[in-house]
Amino acid sequence: MVNDLVVEATDLHKEFQRDAFQVIALQDVHLTVQKGEFVAFMGPSGSGKSSLLYIIAAIDRPTRGRVKVLGRDLLQLKERAMADWRNENIGFIFQTFNLIPVLTARENVELPLLLTHLSRQERAEHAATALGLVGLSDRMDHYPRQLSGGQEQRVAIARAIVSDPSIILADEPTGDLDAQSAQEILTILSRLNRDHGKTILMVTHDPHAARHASKIRYLEKGQLLPEGAPQPE
Amino acid sequence: MFRDTLGLALKNALRNRRRTLLTVASISISLFLLGVLLSVYHAFYHQEGPPEQALRLVTRNRVSLTFSLPEYYEQRIRKVPGVRELVPSSWFGGVYIDNRPENFFPRFATDPERIFEIYKEFTVPPEQLEAFQSERTAAAVGKSLAERLNFKLGQRVTIKGDIYPVDLELTIRAIFAADVENQDFAMYFHRKYLEEALPQSRRGMVGTFGILADSAEAVPRIARQVDDLFRNSERQTKTETERAFQLSFVSMLGNVKVFLLSICGALVFTILLVAANTMGMSVRERITEIGVLKTLGFTSGRVLTMIVAEAVLISLAGGLVGCGLAWGASGVLRQSQLMLSGLSFSPPVFLISLSIALAIGILSSLVPALGATRLPITSALRHSG
Repeated sequence: MVNDLVVEATDLHKEFQRDAFQVIALQDVHLTVQKGEFVAFMGPSGSGKSSLLYIIAAIDRPTRGRVKVLGRDLLQLKERAMADWRNENIGFIFQTFNLIPVLTARENVELPLLLTHLSRQERAEHAATALGLVGLSDRMDHYPRQLSGGQEQRVAIARAIVSDPSIILADEPTGDLDAQSAQEILTILSRLNRDHGKTILMVTHDPHAARHASKIRYLEKGQLLPEGAPQPE
Repeated sequence: MFRDTLGLALKNALRNRRRTLLTVASISISLFLLGVLLSVYHAFYHQEGPPEQALRLVTRNRVSLTFSLPEYYEQRIRKVPGVRELVPSSWFGGVYIDNRPENFFPRFATDPERIFEIYKEFTVPPEQLEAFQSERTAAAVGKSLAERLNFKLGQRVTIKGDIYPVDLELTIRAIFAADVENQDFAMYFHRKYLEEALPQSRRGMVGTFGILADSAEAVPRIARQVDDLFRNSERQTKTETERAFQLSFVSMLGNVKVFLLSICGALVFTILLVAANTMGMSVRERITEIGVLKTLGFTSGRVLTMIVAEAVLISLAGGLVGCGLAWGASGVLRQSQLMLSGLSFSPPVFLISLSIALAIGILSSLVPALGATRLPITSALRHSG
């Protein structure tokens, strides 16, 4: 069971300075996530959901505490090693898709693979496979401006899964989408979790989106409420 | 990996085509001006003359080039050890047809027997040389001058005197050519003809003496000894290498070296500001993307390389266009201006210009790129542009 622990965060604390104010984003957060879980983090704005996701994704460091992801103590990693680790193990999906506008869908999906030793041909094949998984085989040479919001987010999901990471982190992936597109995205995420065994951690405001997760955790004022705790008012 | 980085840089460079085009245009215009100025600088101060030039000296009046020297100095200079040949020359000035610049060319009264002995880089067909030497009113013109003013062998040319109070009727008997383009843009005619035409009081004077030394090592000594010969004379001499003599014309314009280098410096600084402003804007607009790339695993170094490569691509594109324009302009200037007859957009100037373009690319992007890549990923992702 211990070997199946994907995320193990202990006593996480995150503070940062915003203008003249000291903001406490996380305090005393203890979290474990098992392999293959689909966890949704909910809570009001400023409750620390995204901060927690960023720390797990190794794009931010806690002020104090310990965080192990896939058995790796992230605080021990230097910047370059952290970048490599992210590339190999994390797929990140943003609320605003964040595709590079001058690259086609296929080129956007290929981006993480540029850091690998794959050949051009292999990269193209991987990207095509990933785009196929999200149902965009016919949109590979389209630029982001030629795609709908839902399609852009599907490209972003393809980019997140192209390097076959163990964990997918999604920061409000349906926040900028209409109901139908949001449903498509959630279906894809559920399939990735169910059929491909990906561990998914998703931040969302949307209770409907959260219902696709196998577990919902609530944050309030930087604190992670105990498992099974009711949604705060 | 290099190709991928370059590919991404190229795509980013073309992201805002109008801005990139304007930046390339501004860099190319600046590099064009810089290239021309550097060519002028190179032509004035660094261009190698023909090998024979290293053996040549020019003796003139110490006070000024506008004062002449007695022709009998020739006999004394000839006795200086190491002097192989000597030729007197006088700048005639005068007017051909009218005073328009296109009708201006240098005209020298000289010794037809010796002028081509000293200027060995000029080649003249033997029969033409003989015709030039044997006829008192004959003139020899350079090939580039003949082409420009459409001079033909046998053509009669009238030069109205201004410095000298005589009009000369000359017949073109020889056309000589130099191995360096435009070096032959001049006319030579018999000094004796001029002397005969002048009133008695103006005769017996020479503008300069061209000296051919028997070795390059002898050149400084000859210069010293010639000037020593006339140190106590009423008309003292100044003897210098032909190259130094030519540069003295440039120095008449003032401190051209500092002037040219100052303009070059100001130009480089201006281009740097323009490029830095563009790259600053371009990077600021893309801070979120930089955060995304770093989230995907790109290191700060890789992102930095990508941004710098983009700026270098833009700068080099501008540099290449600017160099092309400068190359064309140098050719036009070379054809039209006497003082710039040695002007050419040479490989060293091309390399310097392109290196400056490269440096501008790197320097203009380094500060904004460093700032953006050092930004924490979370701050970059929250950046609102």
